[in-house]
Amino acid sequence: MSKPPDTQLNRRNLLQTLAAGASVWAAPALWAQPSDAILNIATKEANEVARGQFDAQGRLVVVFLRGAYDGLSAFVPHGDSSYYRLRPNIAIPAPDGTAQTTVNLDDRFGLHPAMTALLPLWQQGVIGVVPAAGSPDATRSHFDAQLHWETGMPGLSRASAGWMNRLADPGTRTSAVGVGEANPLILSGPALVKLVPKGLAATRQGVLGDEHTRQALMNLYAGQDTLSKAFRAGADSRRQTAQALSMDATPATMGTSEMMAANNGAGSPQGLVLDAKHLGTLMRQDRHLRLGFLSAGGWDTHANQGASNGALAQNLGNLASALVQLRRDFSQDNDVVVVFSEFGRTSAENGTRGTDHGHGNAIWLMGNAVRGGQWHGRWTGLTTGDLHEGRDLPVHHDFRAVLGQVLHRTQGLARPAIDALFPGFTWDNTLNGLMRA
Amino acid sequence: MNVNRSRLMNTTSAKPTHWQRRDVLRGLTGLACLAGPPGQALWAQTAATPPVSVGRSAADDWRAMSRVGYGPSPGLVRTLQAMPDARSWALAQVEIAWAASHAPPLISPDLANFNSTLPQLFEGTRRERDVRAQNRSEALPDADAAANRRMEFADTPDPAHFNRTTLQQAAAWRLGSCSQPDDENPLLARMTEFWFNHLNIFSGKGAVRPFAGHYVVNVARKHALGQFEDLLLASARHPAMLHYLDQVQSVAEGSSGPQGRTRGLNENYARELMELHTLGVGGGYQQSDVRELARVLTGWTVGPTEPSGFQFAARQHDTGHKQVLGQTFPGSPLHAGEREGEDAIRMLARHPATAQRISLRLARFFVADQPPPALVTRLADAFLSSQGDMRAVMRLLLASPEFWQPENRLFKTPMDFACSALAATQEARAISPGPDRRGLVMALGFLENAGQPLHRWQTPDGYPFDAATWLVPEALTRRADFALALGRQIPELEFLAPYLSPSTRATLAAQRPALRAGLALTSPDFMAK
Repeated sequence: MSKPPDTQLNRRNLLQTLAAGASVWAAPALWAQPSDAILNIATKEANEVARGQFDAQGRLVVVFLRGAYDGLSAFVPHGDSSYYRLRPNIAIPAPDGTAQTTVNLDDRFGLHPAMTALLPLWQQGVIGVVPAAGSPDATRSHFDAQLHWETGMPGLSRASAGWMNRLADPGTRTSAVGVGEANPLILSGPALVKLVPKGLAATRQGVLGDEHTRQALMNLYAGQDTLSKAFRAGADSRRQTAQALSMDATPATMGTSEMMAANNGAGSPQGLVLDAKHLGTLMRQDRHLRLGFLSAGGWDTHANQGASNGALAQNLGNLASALVQLRRDFSQDNDVVVVFSEFGRTSAENGTRGTDHGHGNAIWLMGNAVRGGQWHGRWTGLTTGDLHEGRDLPVHHDFRAVLGQVLHRTQGLARPAIDALFPGFTWDNTLNGLMRA
Repeated sequence: MNVNRSRLMNTTSAKPTHWQRRDVLRGLTGLACLAGPPGQALWAQTAATPPVSVGRSAADDWRAMSRVGYGPSPGLVRTLQAMPDARSWALAQVEIAWAASHAPPLISPDLANFNSTLPQLFEGTRRERDVRAQNRSEALPDADAAANRRMEFADTPDPAHFNRTTLQQAAAWRLGSCSQPDDENPLLARMTEFWFNHLNIFSGKGAVRPFAGHYVVNVARKHALGQFEDLLLASARHPAMLHYLDQVQSVAEGSSGPQGRTRGLNENYARELMELHTLGVGGGYQQSDVRELARVLTGWTVGPTEPSGFQFAARQHDTGHKQVLGQTFPGSPLHAGEREGEDAIRMLARHPATAQRISLRLARFFVADQPPPALVTRLADAFLSSQGDMRAVMRLLLASPEFWQPENRLFKTPMDFACSALAATQEARAISPGPDRRGLVMALGFLENAGQPLHRWQTPDGYPFDAATWLVPEALTRRADFALALGRQIPELEFLAPYLSPSTRATLAAQRPALRAGLALTSPDFMAK
């Protein structure tokens, strides 16, 4: 077998190498067994990051809002008059205590009224926000930017292993789990990862429930090739998943949200609540699962996004419900939930009462270890002269600096390990108060 | 329906009928090697007796049928066997598909509504909106809901559910067209998928819904093997795209919209036109080019009463001076207005970065996840020298050694898997006269669960084709669910035997006949294309 062209973790390289070798399938690297010699060469770097330096204490859940959610509608800068000047039709009205206006948090910021469910968590001090964070790379391409966030390598437009996969301990069979997407980049890489479909499909065993059929399938996939190994691993994983989730699905919890999700849950914000519930159940039942990933699309609001009501308000309401759901399962001392998008949206509304692709955006953090009930980092307002290219919220804090604080505090990751995970990022001392000591 | 179903069950269990059917199949496929003893012995045949006649390569045949089209059906195997080899069959498809793309597709009369004229589709969706507005307070009765889910359609769609019905009809046609090579040329169906995905639209966006199927037929299919710039222009002017990427909303800054509301520019379409449809993200354009191109395109909007569904609204057009990629628009007074957009789109279509991007995507779709760079370069050269003639590009691709090299593997996407499983079983499923859409309904549900919902990939980048995305353990077991459901109570699919490995054939031989069809479809061999 040939050696990969470089030791840079590169999913595509791995694939090529596998394909060129004796294995039957160019399978995703994550499903090749860790014992495969070729994988050991290619994953040397990842293993160095993880082995010994990754002392998993808490659990980390990432919620990725694909499509760039409008943070200025969620974490509303109602104290900034520019906000109302830039958004004459779609601004969330300043707080006046009534239901259709911003929920006041302090004299500068407030919550979208559809996210009122988060107010108690803010008051308990377990939700915090970094309002002007993002990627140092200023691309306005969703796809490039998502790739940067998922690899943790802004500016590098090629696929490599996702940072959550690099965090996963390759010694543990399943330490990361994703619910909803077929194979998100953030979880792809050498470590074995559990991937569960969105919605109710996750709860069904299908043909594997019949012993005779299951045995016949096992005979078809009895080989030592990557595809056969993947099938067998999938069959095991699916049985466990279905059993775990169906045990949990008591009639009382099978509410209308599940029904809605079953109908509409194509990675939609509506489906997020059910996926969040599934994630919580799976990570509760299998303590080896320390890293969780969820995502929802439907945030790319170029037109008619609404204000207190409307399409975006509905999505934000679903997001808030999903966070409340996650809080039920992730409330141990070192559990943290992080919510972000690949970039923000224009500070000003566009000609069609929506917003276009911008730059900086708000990152949300939830957990007992988060110094919540307050926002963190720099905020320079929305005055034109202070905006990125005169139009977008600037990025005052690298998203990796935010994640670095979380990983350091709750995952026991030493600073050098974080440097290795996110090559080229700089530790940001101004965020040192983000997490509780 | 019940009568048919019980007949179907009897057929499987009653031996004489079963053998008759098998004999028919065998006779039709003309595979001499299949004339062995039926049943277990046939599946047990190993590579010791090459199942395909001398001079033919089963692997080449499989690759040709599975990549040029969506895999073998008994009929396609017959056609292919009539040709000297797989290569000549594959190359012939380019001309056949090109000719077929100029004729309207075969659409069953009960589905025809989805491909009505654009003014009719606009009218249908307008009426639905009206009906709903008049009945805002009450839930609208939906007598056709269950039938529509089964892909059974009334003569005229219920006006209150026009969009839903139209979309479901489009899905029924699309899944039929990828799996019935006698009705739709396989390469044409393949290229239709490629272009639809390259110029993706999302039917989950409300205003796009009634037009998704029309877009498949009249944009992706019609220009599947034509000039790329004609395809791009057709896409740019189609209501599905105009709505999907908000071009309908983008007007000159400060110009008046409906109800006198002041509106302005929306960059969405202009950005994706450069980033995804043509140049690619490294293709050398800046944010300023995005904005200038958006200005060039102001005024391009839907025309609900126009046969084309398109109109240029001159009053909403930004008449100022613009510059895109260093080029000035309008290029001359004669080229002002609508012509500016057309010139800009043609310029982008002819750009070398576009040739490179399209070629890379084609090579990934047809050849390998990591296609040989030399092949991509040759394709890009052919693209440029022929001014984007897709016939020339596809001839080169299918004649290239790279297409046929065994090490250039491809793993089926869920779409590939669904269409190929339908194609393999369509003759066996069609016991009763008339279309049997149960398989199509199953396939639609499978695609949904597999994360590749038909016409509903949300983002404009379209879905990827690679194994890294789709070869996912739990998802593999869901292919088994679909395949075994599809293969239930149908005759064994002996015509697939030549393409299966000895170990797969041995496993099938050890199973009871009722499971064999489904297991053949679930086998590792069937996952490859």
